[in-house]
Amino acid sequence: MTPTLEPWEVFRQEREGEPMRHGGSVMAPDAELAAHYAREMFGRRQESVRLWVVRRSDVIDIDDADLLQPPLDRSFKKPGGYVMRDKLAAAREASGQPKPKARSG
Amino acid sequence: MTAAAPAGPALEALLCSMADDEFVIGSSDSEWTGIAPVLEEDVAMSSLAQDEIGHAAALYGLLAGLTGRDADALAYDRPPDDYRHARLLDHGRGDWAMTIARRYLYETADAVRLDALVGGSWSPLADLVGKLRREERYHRMHVEAWLERLAGAGGESRDRLETALRSLAPDAATVFTPLPDEPELVRAGVLEAPMPALEGRWRETVEPVLRALDLPAPAPGAAPPDGREGHGEAFRWLWGEFTSVRAADPGATW
Repeated sequence: MTPTLEPWEVFRQEREGEPMRHGGSVMAPDAELAAHYAREMFGRRQESVRLWVVRRSDVIDIDDADLLQPPLDRSFKKPGGYVMRDKLAAAREASGQPKPKARSG
Repeated sequence: MTAAAPAGPALEALLCSMADDEFVIGSSDSEWTGIAPVLEEDVAMSSLAQDEIGHAAALYGLLAGLTGRDADALAYDRPPDDYRHARLLDHGRGDWAMTIARRYLYETADAVRLDALVGGSWSPLADLVGKLRREERYHRMHVEAWLERLAGAGGESRDRLETALRSLAPDAATVFTPLPDEPELVRAGVLEAPMPALEGRWRETVEPVLRALDLPAPAPGAAPPDGREGHGEAFRWLWGEFTSVRAADPGATW
Protein backbone atom coordinates (compact mmCIF):
# COMPACT_ATOMS: atom_id res chain seq x y z
CA MET A 1 0.00 0.00 0.00
CA THR A 2 1.54 3.29 -1.04
CA PRO A 3 -0.08 6.25 0.69
CA THR A 4 -0.98 9.02 -1.70
CA LEU A 5 -0.20 12.61 -0.89
CA GLU A 6 -3.18 14.91 -1.16
CA PRO A 7 -3.68 18.61 -0.46
CA TRP A 8 -4.96 19.91 2.89
CA GLU A 9 -6.02 23.50 3.38
CA VAL A 10 -4.73 25.30 6.47
CA PHE A 11 -6.45 28.21 8.20
CA ARG A 12 -4.74 30.09 10.97
CA GLN A 13 -5.68 32.47 13.75
CA GLU A 14 -3.03 34.98 14.71
CA ARG A 15 -4.50 36.04 18.03
CA GLU A 16 -7.47 35.03 20.17
CA GLY A 17 -10.64 36.65 18.85
CA GLU A 18 -9.34 37.23 15.33
CA PRO A 19 -10.90 35.48 12.35
CA MET A 20 -9.47 32.28 10.92
CA ARG A 21 -7.66 33.22 7.73
CA HIS A 22 -6.50 30.95 4.96
CA GLY A 23 -2.77 30.38 5.35
CA GLY A 24 -2.04 28.01 2.49
CA SER A 25 -1.93 24.30 1.89
CA VAL A 26 0.24 21.29 2.68
CA MET A 27 0.56 17.91 0.99
CA ALA A 28 0.14 14.94 3.35
CA PRO A 29 -0.95 11.30 3.21
CA ASP A 30 -3.34 11.51 6.19
CA ALA A 31 -4.87 13.80 8.80
CA GLU A 32 -2.21 13.22 11.46
CA LEU A 33 0.74 14.16 9.26
CA ALA A 34 -1.30 16.98 7.73
CA ALA A 35 -1.68 18.41 11.24
CA HIS A 36 2.07 18.04 11.88
CA TYR A 37 2.98 19.72 8.60
CA ALA A 38 0.44 22.49 9.12
CA ARG A 39 2.05 23.14 12.49
CA GLU A 40 5.50 23.29 10.90
CA MET A 41 4.44 25.47 7.97
CA PHE A 42 2.09 27.86 9.75
CA GLY A 43 2.88 27.63 13.45
CA ARG A 44 6.53 26.93 14.15
CA ARG A 45 7.43 30.59 14.69
CA GLN A 46 4.65 31.21 17.23
CA GLU A 47 2.70 33.05 14.54
CA SER A 48 -0.57 31.20 15.22
CA VAL A 49 -2.69 30.42 18.26
CA ARG A 50 -5.03 28.02 16.41
CA LEU A 51 -5.01 26.10 13.17
CA TRP A 52 -7.81 24.48 11.18
CA VAL A 53 -6.70 21.76 8.81
CA VAL A 54 -9.21 20.59 6.21
CA ARG A 55 -8.86 17.93 3.53
CA ARG A 56 -9.29 19.88 0.29
CA SER A 57 -11.66 17.28 -1.12
CA ASP A 58 -13.95 17.88 1.90
CA VAL A 59 -14.34 21.55 1.00
CA ILE A 60 -17.57 22.37 -0.83
CA ASP A 61 -16.34 24.03 -3.97
CA ILE A 62 -18.74 26.36 -5.77
CA ASP A 63 -17.59 28.09 -8.89
CA ASP A 64 -20.77 27.85 -10.96
CA ALA A 65 -21.05 31.09 -12.95
CA ASP A 66 -24.85 30.80 -13.07
CA LEU A 67 -24.84 31.01 -9.27
CA LEU A 68 -22.05 33.48 -8.71
CA GLN A 69 -21.78 35.61 -11.84
CA PRO A 70 -25.30 35.71 -13.32
CA PRO A 71 -25.48 37.66 -16.57
CA LEU A 72 -28.24 40.20 -15.86
CA ASP A 73 -27.75 43.55 -14.17
CA ARG A 74 -27.42 43.09 -10.37
CA SER A 75 -26.72 46.69 -9.45
CA PHE A 76 -30.07 46.90 -7.66
CA LYS A 77 -28.73 44.32 -5.16
CA LYS A 78 -25.74 46.47 -4.24
CA PRO A 79 -25.95 49.02 -1.45
CA GLY A 80 -24.35 51.83 -3.47
CA GLY A 81 -25.92 55.21 -2.84
CA TYR A 82 -27.22 54.17 0.57
CA VAL A 83 -24.77 55.55 3.14
CA MET A 84 -25.09 53.85 6.51
CA ARG A 85 -22.20 55.45 8.32
CA ASP A 86 -23.88 58.66 9.50
CA LYS A 87 -27.09 56.87 10.51
CA LEU A 88 -25.11 54.31 12.52
CA ALA A 89 -23.09 57.03 14.24
CA ALA A 90 -26.27 58.90 15.14
CA ALA A 91 -27.91 55.74 16.48
CA ARG A 92 -24.83 54.92 18.53
CA GLU A 93 -24.75 58.38 20.02
CA ALA A 94 -28.45 58.21 20.85
CA SER A 95 -28.06 54.86 22.63
CA GLY A 96 -24.71 55.70 24.24
CA GLN A 97 -23.01 52.56 22.84
CA PRO A 98 -19.35 52.65 21.87
CA LYS A 99 -18.20 51.66 18.41
CA PRO A 100 -17.83 47.85 18.44
CA LYS A 101 -14.48 46.20 17.76
CA ALA A 102 -13.96 43.97 14.73
CA ARG A 103 -16.17 40.92 14.96
CA SER A 104 -14.42 37.71 15.97
CA GLY A 105 -14.77 34.84 13.57
CA MET B 1 22.48 32.52 38.11
CA THR B 2 20.76 33.34 41.38
CA ALA B 3 20.18 29.86 42.80
CA ALA B 4 23.33 28.28 44.19
CA ALA B 5 24.30 25.27 42.12
CA PRO B 6 24.55 22.04 44.09
CA ALA B 7 27.03 19.28 43.32
CA GLY B 8 29.30 21.34 41.02
CA PRO B 9 31.24 18.87 38.84
CA ALA B 10 28.37 16.36 38.83
CA LEU B 11 25.93 19.02 37.67
CA GLU B 12 28.37 20.17 35.00
CA ALA B 13 28.69 16.60 33.72
CA LEU B 14 24.90 16.27 33.56
CA LEU B 15 24.47 19.54 31.66
CA CYS B 16 27.29 18.66 29.29
CA SER B 17 25.79 15.23 28.52
CA MET B 18 22.34 16.71 27.84
CA ALA B 19 23.63 19.63 25.77
CA ASP B 20 25.88 17.36 23.70
CA ASP B 21 22.99 14.92 23.10
CA GLU B 22 20.78 17.69 21.79
CA PHE B 23 23.57 19.34 19.81
CA VAL B 24 24.65 16.13 18.09
CA ILE B 25 21.17 14.86 17.19
CA GLY B 26 20.22 18.33 15.97
CA SER B 27 23.32 18.57 13.81
CA SER B 28 22.80 15.07 12.47
CA ASP B 29 19.11 15.57 11.65
CA SER B 30 19.83 18.92 10.00
CA GLU B 31 21.56 16.96 7.25
CA TRP B 32 18.09 16.25 5.85
CA THR B 33 17.60 19.89 4.91
CA GLY B 34 17.03 19.91 1.17
CA ILE B 35 16.87 16.14 0.68
CA ALA B 36 14.01 14.85 2.92
CA PRO B 37 11.37 12.59 1.29
CA VAL B 38 8.81 15.36 0.65
CA LEU B 39 8.93 19.14 0.93
CA GLU B 40 6.73 19.26 4.03
CA GLU B 41 8.89 16.68 5.79
CA ASP B 42 11.98 18.61 4.78
CA VAL B 43 10.63 21.68 6.57
CA ALA B 44 9.49 19.57 9.54
CA MET B 45 12.81 17.75 10.03
CA SER B 46 14.80 20.96 9.59
CA SER B 47 12.59 22.66 12.16
CA LEU B 48 12.96 19.75 14.60
CA ALA B 49 16.72 19.87 14.13
CA GLN B 50 16.69 23.61 14.85
CA ASP B 51 14.66 22.96 18.01
CA GLU B 52 17.30 20.51 19.23
CA ILE B 53 20.09 23.00 18.54
CA GLY B 54 18.06 25.60 20.42
CA HIS B 55 17.75 23.24 23.38
CA ALA B 56 21.50 22.63 23.22
CA ALA B 57 22.12 26.40 23.21
CA ALA B 58 20.01 26.83 26.36
CA LEU B 59 21.78 23.95 28.12
CA TYR B 60 25.26 25.14 27.06
CA GLY B 61 24.18 28.53 28.39
CA LEU B 62 23.54 27.05 31.85
CA LEU B 63 26.84 25.19 31.71
CA ALA B 64 28.62 28.38 30.64
CA GLY B 65 27.13 30.17 33.66
CA LEU B 66 28.59 27.52 35.96
CA THR B 67 32.00 27.20 34.37
CA GLY B 68 32.66 30.75 33.19
CA ARG B 69 33.23 29.45 29.65
CA ASP B 70 31.50 30.77 26.56
CA ALA B 71 28.53 28.72 25.28
CA ASP B 72 29.78 28.80 21.67
CA ALA B 73 33.21 27.66 22.82
CA LEU B 74 31.59 24.75 24.63
CA ALA B 75 29.63 23.81 21.53
CA TYR B 76 32.36 24.20 18.93
CA ASP B 77 35.85 24.39 20.38
CA ARG B 78 36.28 20.97 21.97
CA PRO B 79 38.08 18.08 20.26
CA PRO B 80 35.70 15.26 19.24
CA ASP B 81 36.77 12.97 22.09
CA ASP B 82 35.64 15.54 24.68
CA TYR B 83 31.97 15.40 23.63
CA ARG B 84 29.79 13.44 26.03
CA HIS B 85 26.72 12.59 23.94
CA ALA B 86 25.31 9.10 24.02
CA ARG B 87 26.79 6.61 21.56
CA LEU B 88 23.28 6.06 20.19
CA LEU B 89 23.73 9.41 18.45
CA ASP B 90 27.04 8.41 16.86
CA HIS B 91 25.15 6.41 14.27
CA GLY B 92 25.17 8.82 11.35
CA ARG B 93 22.17 10.20 9.54
CA GLY B 94 21.73 7.04 7.45
CA ASP B 95 18.51 6.58 5.50
CA TRP B 96 15.13 7.95 6.57
CA ALA B 97 14.33 4.79 8.56
CA MET B 98 17.62 5.13 10.47
CA THR B 99 16.85 8.74 11.33
CA ILE B 100 13.37 7.82 12.53
CA ALA B 101 14.62 4.83 14.54
CA ARG B 102 17.37 6.92 16.17
CA ARG B 103 15.00 9.78 16.90
CA TYR B 104 12.42 7.40 18.39
CA LEU B 105 14.92 5.77 20.77
CA TYR B 106 16.44 9.13 21.71
CA GLU B 107 13.23 11.14 22.13
CA THR B 108 11.63 8.52 24.34
CA ALA B 109 14.79 8.33 26.48
CA ASP B 110 15.08 12.11 26.66
CA ALA B 111 11.46 12.32 27.80
CA VAL B 112 12.15 9.98 30.74
CA ARG B 113 15.25 11.98 31.62
CA LEU B 114 13.38 15.31 31.48
CA ASP B 115 10.59 13.88 33.66
CA ALA B 116 13.24 13.08 36.29
CA LEU B 117 14.63 16.63 36.17
CA VAL B 118 11.56 18.86 36.00
CA GLY B 119 10.95 18.78 39.75
CA GLY B 120 14.64 19.17 40.56
CA SER B 121 16.13 21.33 43.29
CA TRP B 122 18.25 23.58 41.06
CA SER B 123 15.66 25.94 39.65
CA PRO B 124 17.57 27.19 36.55
CA LEU B 125 17.61 23.63 35.19
CA ALA B 126 14.15 22.64 36.46
CA ASP B 127 12.65 25.78 34.83
CA LEU B 128 14.40 25.14 31.53
CA VAL B 129 13.34 21.48 31.55
CA GLY B 130 9.73 22.57 32.01
CA LYS B 131 9.99 24.47 28.72
CA LEU B 132 11.94 21.76 26.92
CA ARG B 133 9.28 19.19 27.79
CA ARG B 134 6.59 21.26 26.09
CA GLU B 135 8.56 21.35 22.83
CA GLU B 136 9.60 17.72 23.03
CA ARG B 137 5.94 16.68 23.16
CA TYR B 138 5.55 17.55 19.49
CA HIS B 139 8.86 15.87 18.66
CA ARG B 140 7.55 12.62 20.09
CA MET B 141 4.23 12.92 18.24
CA HIS B 142 6.12 13.42 15.00
CA VAL B 143 8.52 10.50 15.42
CA GLU B 144 5.86 8.11 16.69
CA ALA B 145 3.70 8.90 13.65
CA TRP B 146 6.61 7.97 11.40
CA LEU B 147 7.58 4.85 13.35
CA GLU B 148 4.03 3.52 12.97
CA ARG B 149 3.90 4.36 9.28
CA LEU B 150 7.23 2.76 8.39
CA ALA B 151 6.36 -0.32 10.45
CA GLY B 152 2.89 -0.60 8.96
CA ALA B 153 3.88 0.05 5.37
CA GLY B 154 5.57 -3.35 4.98
CA GLY B 155 8.04 -4.04 2.18
CA GLU B 156 11.17 -1.96 1.86
CA SER B 157 10.05 0.66 4.41
CA ARG B 158 9.62 -1.94 7.13
CA ASP B 159 12.81 -3.80 6.16
CA ARG B 160 14.83 -0.61 6.44
CA LEU B 161 13.27 0.24 9.82
CA GLU B 162 14.03 -3.22 11.19
CA THR B 163 17.61 -3.01 9.92
CA ALA B 164 18.04 0.41 11.56
CA LEU B 165 16.60 -0.70 14.90
CA ARG B 166 18.79 -3.81 14.88
CA SER B 167 21.94 -1.79 14.24
CA LEU B 168 21.01 0.72 16.97
CA ALA B 169 19.97 -1.94 19.53
CA PRO B 170 23.40 -2.35 21.22
CA ASP B 171 23.67 1.43 21.81
CA ALA B 172 19.98 2.14 22.35
CA ALA B 173 20.22 2.55 26.14
CA THR B 174 23.38 4.68 26.18
CA VAL B 175 21.41 7.86 26.99
CA PHE B 176 21.24 6.29 30.47
CA THR B 177 24.99 5.79 30.85
CA PRO B 178 25.70 6.53 34.53
CA LEU B 179 27.26 9.98 34.94
CA PRO B 180 30.36 10.74 36.99
CA ASP B 181 29.35 11.44 40.59
CA GLU B 182 25.73 10.78 39.73
CA PRO B 183 24.76 9.82 43.32
CA GLU B 184 25.56 13.42 44.31
CA LEU B 185 22.95 14.70 41.86
CA VAL B 186 20.34 12.40 43.34
CA ARG B 187 21.32 13.35 46.91
CA ALA B 188 21.14 17.06 46.03
CA GLY B 189 17.67 16.54 44.55
CA VAL B 190 18.68 17.71 41.05
CA LEU B 191 17.92 14.31 39.52
CA GLU B 192 15.01 12.31 40.86
CA ALA B 193 16.52 8.84 40.37
CA PRO B 194 19.79 7.29 39.18
CA MET B 195 20.26 6.49 35.49
CA PRO B 196 19.70 2.71 35.82
CA ALA B 197 16.28 3.40 37.34
CA LEU B 198 15.46 5.83 34.51
CA GLU B 199 16.60 3.22 32.01
CA GLY B 200 14.08 0.80 33.53
CA ARG B 201 11.29 3.36 33.11
CA TRP B 202 12.31 3.93 29.49
CA ARG B 203 12.28 0.21 28.70
CA GLU B 204 8.77 -0.02 30.17
CA THR B 205 7.74 2.73 27.73
CA VAL B 206 9.36 1.60 24.50
CA GLU B 207 9.33 -2.17 24.73
CA PRO B 208 5.53 -2.57 24.58
CA VAL B 209 5.34 -0.15 21.64
CA LEU B 210 8.03 -1.98 19.67
CA ARG B 211 6.55 -5.36 20.59
CA ALA B 212 3.10 -4.30 19.38
CA LEU B 213 4.65 -3.30 16.05
CA ASP B 214 6.71 -6.53 16.03
CA LEU B 215 9.94 -4.51 15.81
CA PRO B 216 13.41 -5.28 17.27
CA ALA B 217 13.77 -4.10 20.89
CA PRO B 218 16.82 -2.45 22.47
CA ALA B 219 19.47 -4.99 23.50
CA PRO B 220 18.95 -6.20 27.08
CA GLY B 221 21.38 -5.26 29.82
CA ALA B 222 22.27 -1.94 31.39
CA ALA B 223 23.94 0.87 29.46
CA PRO B 224 27.72 0.30 29.32
CA PRO B 225 29.83 2.57 31.57
CA ASP B 226 31.59 4.02 28.52
CA GLY B 227 28.34 4.72 26.64
CA ARG B 228 29.20 8.41 26.25
CA GLU B 229 32.77 7.88 25.08
CA GLY B 230 34.68 6.39 22.19
CA HIS B 231 32.84 8.28 19.46
CA GLY B 232 33.64 6.74 16.10
CA GLU B 233 34.32 7.85 12.56
CA ALA B 234 30.75 8.96 11.81
CA PHE B 235 30.90 11.46 14.66
CA ARG B 236 34.36 12.68 13.65
CA TRP B 237 32.96 13.46 10.22
CA LEU B 238 29.92 15.26 11.69
CA TRP B 239 32.19 17.19 14.08
CA GLY B 240 34.28 18.32 11.10
CA GLU B 241 31.09 19.55 9.44
CA PHE B 242 29.58 21.43 12.37
CA THR B 243 32.87 23.06 13.37
CA SER B 244 33.91 23.97 9.81
CA VAL B 245 32.37 27.44 9.63
CA ARG B 246 33.72 28.52 13.01
CA ALA B 247 37.11 27.00 12.16
CA ALA B 248 37.20 28.98 8.91
CA ASP B 249 37.82 32.20 10.84
CA PRO B 250 38.80 31.46 14.46
CA GLY B 251 37.93 34.21 16.89
CA ALA B 252 35.61 36.01 14.45
CA THR B 253 32.54 37.75 15.83
CA TRP B 254 29.41 36.37 14.15
